[in-house]
Amino acid sequence: MSDTLQLWLLFFAVGLGTFLIRLSFIQLHGSAEALIARSKHILVLLPPAILAALCIPAIIFTRPLTQYQVDYFQLAAALVAILIAKFSRSVFWPVMGGMLCLWLLRFISG
Amino acid sequence: MKDYRQQFWLGARDLLPLISGAAPFGMIVGATGVSLGMSPEMVMGMTALFFAGSAQLAAYALIQDNAPLIIILATAMVINLRFAIYSATFAPLLGPLPKRYRFTLAYMLSDQTYGLCSMPAQMQKTAAERVWYLAGVTLTLYLTWMISVIFGIALGAGIPPSWSLEFTIPLAFLAMLVTTITSRLLLMVAVISGSCAVLFQLLPFNTGFIAAVAAGVGGGVLLPGLLKMRRASHE
Repeated sequence: MSDTLQLWLLFFAVGLGTFLIRLSFIQLHGSAEALIARSKHILVLLPPAILAALCIPAIIFTRPLTQYQVDYFQLAAALVAILIAKFSRSVFWPVMGGMLCLWLLRFISG
Repeated sequence: MKDYRQQFWLGARDLLPLISGAAPFGMIVGATGVSLGMSPEMVMGMTALFFAGSAQLAAYALIQDNAPLIIILATAMVINLRFAIYSATFAPLLGPLPKRYRFTLAYMLSDQTYGLCSMPAQMQKTAAERVWYLAGVTLTLYLTWMISVIFGIALGAGIPPSWSLEFTIPLAFLAMLVTTITSRLLLMVAVISGSCAVLFQLLPFNTGFIAAVAAGVGGGVLLPGLLKMRRASHE
């Protein structure tokens, strides 16, 4: 099976799964309100756990991750992004600020 | 009918300020997909099937790491679990609709829709007005998202690799992480999960990621009780 075909299968699976998640309670309307109320305290913990696990390693280390090379410029860029994110609700400005910081540091160091 | 159309356009108008966040994110999604070597058709297909930016960025990161497909699927599902909360929120509103409208609006459910349509002001409207308002928000966001991803794809092919565009992915997640941390408990969850992700990153098949998320959530469930016990024993 080719890589491209595998990826398309993956995309269809994710698309279907995401649609079913979105539809879930709308479709079950009237029969599942109690369940969602009970699991709500776990659902609110998931976003920070997932987002931290996704971004922290990629920020500290350069790819490939197997080399454990700490990248200080990326750390500085991440600090800038955190500071901007504290004031701006959008995702755009922290990313922009972080990238500008990264480019600036790399440009200065040659 | 005229009043309903008015609600639709009101929803579209209320979404406009949120485009400043959604459009650049869409461009990042489009440009990053192309920078990973995927064809424009593939990035667009992926975008239409997912209609979920953070899950798509996570999938990029895992595809780049050659993670097994089942892990990518599971990760995307976990990231999209928040839609279940939105689904529950809008169930009384969208549940009674005819199937084609119910399915279409459910497929397009998003963070922005949730944000705008769960405002206190909306609760004073009739159900029909709320549905039309929701449709206005949702369709406008969908169009904006698709167009901005196309722009990103067009730009992405012209961007040199030395710009490290892929670093925008962890930065975007970091920005989202900062906004999700609204209490000390959630900060602890993020710290536990982030440190575990660093410690476990060499585990095979991305199991380190799942382990880190589990550790973070487990910590979040157990910590309040433990802290309360300690405080009680101090007294």
